[in-house]
Amino acid sequence: MLRTRSYTAMLLLLLVALIRAAHADAQTTASTAVAIVVHPSTRIDNLDFDELRRIFRGERQFWPDQKTRITLLVRAPVAQERKLVLEKIYRMSEEAFRQYWIAKMFRAEVATGPKLVYSSEMARELVTAIPGAIGFMPASSVGSGVKVLKIDGRLPSDPGYILR
Amino acid sequence: MRTTGFHGFLFGDVVYVTREQAANDGFLIGQLVGHGNARMSERVSVFGEVSATAQASGYALELERAIVRYDFADQFKLSVGRYHTPASYWNTAYHHGLWLQTSVARPEIIKVGGRFIPVHFVGAMAEGTLNAGKTSLSYEAGVGNGRGTVVTRAGDAGDVNRSRASLFAARLRPFDNGFALGGSVYFDRVEVDPDSYDERIASGHVVWDRGAPELIAEFARVDHDPRQAGQKSTSDGWYAHAGWRLGGSLYQFKPYVRVEHVDVSMTDPVFAQALTDYRAGIAGLRFDFDALATIKGEYRRERFGANADYLNGFYVQVAFAIATAGVM
Repeated sequence: MLRTRSYTAMLLLLLVALIRAAHADAQTTASTAVAIVVHPSTRIDNLDFDELRRIFRGERQFWPDQKTRITLLVRAPVAQERKLVLEKIYRMSEEAFRQYWIAKMFRAEVATGPKLVYSSEMARELVTAIPGAIGFMPASSVGSGVKVLKIDGRLPSDPGYILR
Repeated sequence: MRTTGFHGFLFGDVVYVTREQAANDGFLIGQLVGHGNARMSERVSVFGEVSATAQASGYALELERAIVRYDFADQFKLSVGRYHTPASYWNTAYHHGLWLQTSVARPEIIKVGGRFIPVHFVGAMAEGTLNAGKTSLSYEAGVGNGRGTVVTRAGDAGDVNRSRASLFAARLRPFDNGFALGGSVYFDRVEVDPDSYDERIASGHVVWDRGAPELIAEFARVDHDPRQAGQKSTSDGWYAHAGWRLGGSLYQFKPYVRVEHVDVSMTDPVFAQALTDYRAGIAGLRFDFDALATIKGEYRRERFGANADYLNGFYVQVAFAIATAGVM
């Protein structure tokens, strides 16, 4: 009987520990995931990751309606979300990223490079103000006025979201 | 019309050269190249590139590129102006930005001022990219003046005959990993006294241009067919270039090698006296000592002419880029 109670208590403790760990994981997930945000008038809700990479690399310069030019906003160096975007989307170092955009402009493939933003607030304000704008910010910083895109069908809060 | 964005660049280089049997060794000021991009509106962009090249009598100014483009869609953009001819990967990948390219100089078949492949093209161009999954196919189709009276130059002041040059180039990137496969065809009529010649240039390239490895291999065949009498002449040229960006604490270093091979038809009146067979083996090391500045050391063993001796040369080049504020 005593042994049964001990097992039950241990199971309960384990269950509580698991619930707390899961909760903590959820908090970490929400704080470290990077959300892709667009102007609210953008007529898409989901991008597959290949398309997202093309947009961020300047290889696709218009939204699918071909009427609205994509304005790419990139956070200035040092920000954690920039590091994650360079690693996961661009797969480039800071040096390679700089050289990539200089080469792209020099080749006349694009007229301008990404617009630099210096805070999540600035990113949110510009995405809200510029039709066709796309940017990124920590999922925890997303406020009203922007649309969060699904990537491969997943939102930043979903398990398996790629940008974290 | 308002300008919605402008970016400017300045590229420059200084080279120290020492070569066997060369009279003009020492320090050379290379090209100083200014480049500007401006987006005039949502769909209209303007691009310009001007170079100043050091010569014995002073500096030669040249308008390298001047392009006005209207973007209908990602799949279709239309432009007019002066371009680098997309009959070679190197010609449109690096233009005159020596800081961008790994090696000290361009390959012989597409060298600045060379005549094997016309470096510049004046006319109109349609271009675009089609995407499907990880695969993308880009194309360029153009019509223009072709070679000028001086065959190393484009017909900037009009065509030398009533036969316009035309070209088509395409590049396939099947895996979105840096691998690309491309080719082009170019047609023109060239005037070389006393005859005119139908010129056909076919070229192909295989490239890996992303991540640590850098592989570029190009082949070009140039045919000149006389309009009146005589036989067709065929000349071939190719190069294979390989580089590798080192990892970890050696990230700033990039060793590279290149092999070049040009066989010129000695019966070709368009190339006669001006081009010879060429062989070269090149080995070098690039060191990016700053984000926008690099120093390259390069050894060349090259031969100009079928029966000439191989000559050794050593080059050290400092190349840099200056970008306007806001470029990353």
